[in-house]
Amino acid sequence: MRAVRNIRLCTKDCLCLYVCPTGATNTENGQIDWDKCLDACRACVDACPSGAICKVPHNYPPQQPKTDAVISAMNRLSRSKGKQRQAARAMQAQGNSPIARQLGQALEMSVIVTAEDLAREAGYMLPQSSEARAFLEKLLDEEQGAEFPADAARELLNRL
Amino acid sequence: MKRYRCTICGYDYDPAVGDPSHGIALGTPFEDLPGDWVCPVCGADKTLFHALAEPGLPEETPVSAAIDAQPAAISDAEKAAILSNLARGYQKQFRADEAALFTQLADYYVTRIGHEGDVDSFRAALKDDLSGGYAAAFEAARKSSDRGALRALTWGEKVSRIQDSVLGRWADKGDSSFEDTKVFVCDACGFIFLGQTPPDICPVCKVPAFKFNEVKRGA
Ligand code: SF4
Ligand code: SF4
Repeated sequence: MRAVRNIRLCTKDCLCLYVCPTGATNTENGQIDWDKCLDACRACVDACPSGAICKVPHNYPPQQPKTDAVISAMNRLSRSKGKQRQAARAMQAQGNSPIARQLGQALEMSVIVTAEDLAREAGYMLPQSSEARAFLEKLLDEEQGAEFPADAARELLNRL
Repeated sequence: MKRYRCTICGYDYDPAVGDPSHGIALGTPFEDLPGDWVCPVCGADKTLFHALAEPGLPEETPVSAAIDAQPAAISDAEKAAILSNLARGYQKQFRADEAALFTQLADYYVTRIGHEGDVDSFRAALKDDLSGGYAAAFEAARKSSDRGALRALTWGEKVSRIQDSVLGRWADKGDSSFEDTKVFVCDACGFIFLGQTPPDICPVCKVPAFKFNEVKRGA
């Protein structure tokens, strides 16, 4: 586990500087130095008066299982969101006024968030999951254009 | 006189009270509110309100539709969403390198998303969701006791309604009704807010105002 500081919550009370046994909390960029942070320690988390520090695990439990019925219903919506994103991009590319393009951009951002949320609840919650791994493997198996960043997919499979 | 509830944020319009801060006198029936009146809490337009059932009458039940039987191949836009979502997953874990790799893959598929479509095809797809897609998914999630899916559907359905209302307003009135407003999008649920400053908390997912991104108007 590694400590991370939420800069938005940090009130600079600096107790974390006093309690850290390795000096990991004292850095010039506001982030905790992970090379120094100890796995088993949580002194700064307990000492911070603002609740600004938490420990992030290295390993995560498996995802909650999803039923086929939920996956299928979520996928139907995802497909529709895909069409909507396409239309929102068309509004940006072909819109003949600044407002049309602005709305197209806002709508695309909005659709992306809903589409990502559907993907998450259709079995792609955790990047380290077997679902994500199978998905990357499938992409590598498919016929791809020259621009496809296969190295990124392979590198992720190595790291997952 | 009937009360009406905002389907986005749950605000109740009570004719007995009116909306005095926006010039609506008490005693004004919902039907008589001007066409450009919007929900004082979240900005939803009149079409996003539904009449509250009189005491003793059952609430209307949503229609349900069959679950998609024949899954087609996944489109590039769907792949992009899966990959950018996995990138977000790594961002939450503070693993920037892995997040960047997933973003690189997502961006590849984003460049392949076509530009076919317009306001009409957008609204047709939204109508499909709002008249069947969400209802079917809600039913599947309830049967599976999948509260995570129920959460995503609750947010997504409301956001889809807001998207449709923005598109409808633009189709009806064109640019003129957006000239004086800023546009914000909630980064957590996708809610679109039209106004001068984003609400203190998102009416759909309840995150604080700093989670709203302003979409600036270009040249
Ligand atoms: S103790 Fe907490 S609030 Fe104080 S400087 Fe450290 S992180 Fe910030
Ligand atoms: S968890 Fe312990 S070692 Fe890590 S930064 Fe906090 S005080 Fe220092």
